[in-house]
Amino acid sequence: MADFQVLEQSHPRVDAWEKVTGQANYAGDVYLPGMLMCKILASTRSHARIISIDTSKATALPGVRAVITGYDFPQIRFGSGALKDRYIMARDIVYYIGEPVAAVAAEDEITAQEAIGLIEVEYEDLGAVVDPLTALRSGAPSVHPDLESYEGYGFTIEGGNICTLLDADRGDVDQAFMEADHVFEDTFRSQGINQGFLEPMACAANVEANGRLTIWASTQGPYQVRAQLASVLDMPLSNIKIIPMELGGGFGAKLRLAFEAFPALLSMRTGSPVKLINTREEVFTLNGPRHPVTNYIKTGVNNDGTIIAREAYTIFDVGAYLGAGPNSGIGHGLGAYNIPNFRLRSYGAYTNKVYVGSYRASGVADMTFAVESHMDIIAHKLGMDPLDFRLKNTIKEGDIAVNGSRVPGNGLEQTLAAIKERLGLPKELPDGHGVGIALCEWRSGTGPSTASISVNEDGTASLLTGSVDISGSDTSLASIAAEVMGISIGDIIVASRDTDLAPFTGPSGGSRIVYSQGKAVQMAAEDARDKLLALAADRLGVPQEALGCAGGRVYVHDNPPQGLTLGQLASASVNSRTGPIVGNASLSTLPYAPVFSAQAAEVEVDRATGQVKLTRYVQCQDVGVAINPMAVEGQLEGGAVQGIGRALTEDMLFDQETGAVRNPSFASYLMPLALDLPELETLMVRVPSEDGPFGARAVAEPPGFGPPAAIANAIYDAVGVRIRELPLSGERVLAALQGKISEDVAYIGDELDELKRAEGLVA
Amino acid sequence: MLRFDYLEARNLRQAISLLQRHGEDARLVAGSTDFLVRWRQGFWRPSCVVNIKGISSLRRITYSARNGLNLGALATVQAIELDPRIRRYYEALATGATSFAGVQVRNLATVGGNVCNASPAGDTLPALLAFDAQCNIAGPEGARTLPLTEFFRGPGRTALSTGEVLTGLKLPPPQPRTGSLYIKHSPRGAMDIATVGVASVLTLEDDGRTCKDARIALGAVGPVPFRASAAEAVLKGKEVTADLLAEAANEARNQATPIDDVRGSADYRKEMVEALTNRTLQYAFRMARGERLSFEEQRRLAVQTAF
Repeated sequence: MADFQVLEQSHPRVDAWEKVTGQANYAGDVYLPGMLMCKILASTRSHARIISIDTSKATALPGVRAVITGYDFPQIRFGSGALKDRYIMARDIVYYIGEPVAAVAAEDEITAQEAIGLIEVEYEDLGAVVDPLTALRSGAPSVHPDLESYEGYGFTIEGGNICTLLDADRGDVDQAFMEADHVFEDTFRSQGINQGFLEPMACAANVEANGRLTIWASTQGPYQVRAQLASVLDMPLSNIKIIPMELGGGFGAKLRLAFEAFPALLSMRTGSPVKLINTREEVFTLNGPRHPVTNYIKTGVNNDGTIIAREAYTIFDVGAYLGAGPNSGIGHGLGAYNIPNFRLRSYGAYTNKVYVGSYRASGVADMTFAVESHMDIIAHKLGMDPLDFRLKNTIKEGDIAVNGSRVPGNGLEQTLAAIKERLGLPKELPDGHGVGIALCEWRSGTGPSTASISVNEDGTASLLTGSVDISGSDTSLASIAAEVMGISIGDIIVASRDTDLAPFTGPSGGSRIVYSQGKAVQMAAEDARDKLLALAADRLGVPQEALGCAGGRVYVHDNPPQGLTLGQLASASVNSRTGPIVGNASLSTLPYAPVFSAQAAEVEVDRATGQVKLTRYVQCQDVGVAINPMAVEGQLEGGAVQGIGRALTEDMLFDQETGAVRNPSFASYLMPLALDLPELETLMVRVPSEDGPFGARAVAEPPGFGPPAAIANAIYDAVGVRIRELPLSGERVLAALQGKISEDVAYIGDELDELKRAEGLVA
Repeated sequence: MLRFDYLEARNLRQAISLLQRHGEDARLVAGSTDFLVRWRQGFWRPSCVVNIKGISSLRRITYSARNGLNLGALATVQAIELDPRIRRYYEALATGATSFAGVQVRNLATVGGNVCNASPAGDTLPALLAFDAQCNIAGPEGARTLPLTEFFRGPGRTALSTGEVLTGLKLPPPQPRTGSLYIKHSPRGAMDIATVGVASVLTLEDDGRTCKDARIALGAVGPVPFRASAAEAVLKGKEVTADLLAEAANEARNQATPIDDVRGSADYRKEMVEALTNRTLQYAFRMARGERLSFEEQRRLAVQTAF
């Protein structure tokens, strides 16, 4: 490992003091003179035409300052991606229970809530479709009958409710299945999931004296919110300033425009600042969660355990709008394996439910549950050790990844070896106890990244980036800058930012901040350092190559006492020929850098109740280089906890008739609590990436992928039943133990045939 | 109505008169752990809230071998969980308390509130029923007592009439050769509501084999928590065997009338009633025969969780 001064050492977060003492400001903490409170009226119908909205009683209530409906916004559809399929507030038609229909600004929250109750909406019900498999069938009621006329619609296969199809193909998969010694197929279902961030969506809006709009937002993507808000309000983007406040968790749910447009328009109407804080129920019912996913997977294997073909069909329920669809799930149908022939398909189906959002690598956790359960099933049927079967097929340096790029060096095999050693695999456990593994793969996120660093006259440096802090990323960025510039992390000032001040950058999501934004910070810091060295060379009369930068000063390699402090140089720079020291960097896309994680669970299964108890969880990830080991460990543990919840208890339930969320509360949507969890064991291996800052790889997303499959595999090891549907509840396990769940319960052959026929793959 | 008047009663008489004056528009609170949640959800919207938390005389827990256990209505769930006499003589009540919500909520929530909330899933209720608790009630007409079995009238509905306050619960003295346990099935170990809760109290004859008395109460499998009397009848006077316990458990299952909801299907709940009745009886039998289970061991058994 390289000899680091700052990196690979644990640093407390730069914002720890404010967070721990409760002084950090979130969007809900914004108080402005004369501020009004906003409340939302939600649709009570799954799919209905709005006949009329009568806001007169609400408007007449004392204390109410403005009431708006969808008709008060410009008639402009927007979307999360290319497909523009929704209005910011319902107009003519509501598509799900919970969809915003009107909003009120009043002098206090209780008055706003009372006013909401006075708005009268008359609906005419249209046919609703709730089940995605039904939605895909020809002849199903259409959620968006005019879909083909929407801007950005690009899908040509017949089928009214298919809004997106992602595909990837290689080799001759049908031929390979015919040649394979064995063919296995399974269907898995994963449940609806809520991101479970602690801070509900919140924002405040104010029209400034000069007519510009300021938004205080709880967001991961201020520039994305700015662009979308400009679009739905039909105003120039430059008239909007987004101030991202501290983020109380996002996990993908806060990547895009949420409800900022409501207080914005209400502020424009009233001339007063307006604030909106969602209730927890609203977080569940009107802000994109993840929906149930069906994954069909088929694999051709030879007698020696070599996989030669893979087919995977994913059916994503996207809800009423393509908020965040199948996107990242598609390429992961192969898992961490090299498979020469494949056909991968991801369909997004509209249903009359709350639109789908992003959550910590949308779709990949569902796919990992399918792939890694399927791998386990095959290993057992072939009589091979599950770990050996995986090792035999892992993707290796020089192989071609599903996206067509060459796989660079990585630590995949070391992660499996570390898990094997830590647990002493293979091992026999007493009846009712079992161990299971899962291998997870992901890539380091890229995208536009910028950074600017100015050196202050006292030798400190101010770091400006447009990216919002998530999970301590500010601290990691400060560490990178400190390492490059040879100063301590405490000498880096992380500037607070807004979209007027900081240069454009991609959102804080997709495991991209430390990898890509960190790279930009490294480059900006190098730029600043080079300028310091050039200035020092000039002042000391030595060549630049003869100088080093460490301990807060630039010194002569051959005579270390000779040198200048950064403070001296910065002070000198102010009046120098080249001007004050500022380092800048701007980059777009970094090459593909995979991330691998091996995980293992030990469980105890109560045969009388079916209850699964997680007794041990171990994970090992190739992190490249740990920028801040304490933060890396926190990310690994946090991700695993989310995955454990997904595996065992979290389950967003939808009414089968109406699509309404049945459990919109933390009392009935059960996330694991600190009290509940076993000790989590986190291991790291370090095979530096080729392009990340100092060799770092992305960290955030893989830890959450493994628990569903690892735990399902452990249950099989413990009591011999295979659960193909999440969560792995006591009820499901008991039903399986009693033989009430048959192997092919999830079989979706008919639906697959229909999809294949539409694509012309079968007659 | 989103706004309400908040009143604090200094003594019982004042509480009763405030309740009388405001009638159906008033809601009595103490720990307020149920109230604030239900108010925010819009289920309860009283125009007047009467807080009796300050009436310190209702907070006491007393015990004697002769008179049994007296729980003031304002005794907190935490106080019940930690009380060494309850852990010793009324194990199922202590395990019911320890499986209740989380530490912070247990510090605030009162046993009287849990009883008056009359949730079918209330965690202290099966044990109180199985220990034959009597309710002490004070009201405009004076004091009266009522067996807890007659107190619950439906989900959220009790036998209290306007102006009446539950002041305490009285549990008869413990019988020798008795063991008891409560098991709560809930996926999460803290801050979760029972999918099924079962409390069993088993008393043996001098021979240490024959069932002298058995009391079984079920939670979350009917509109109110209730005694599984048919299951109790299977056991009384018979020599305890594994088969007999299984037969009683099956009878308890037959008595359960659960519903399907977000926490589990009716079928699964019936399965759980059988499994947990059997298990509570097995442990109660062992404890009645003199086996001492540490509180930590009882807690491990009592909270059936995923993590």
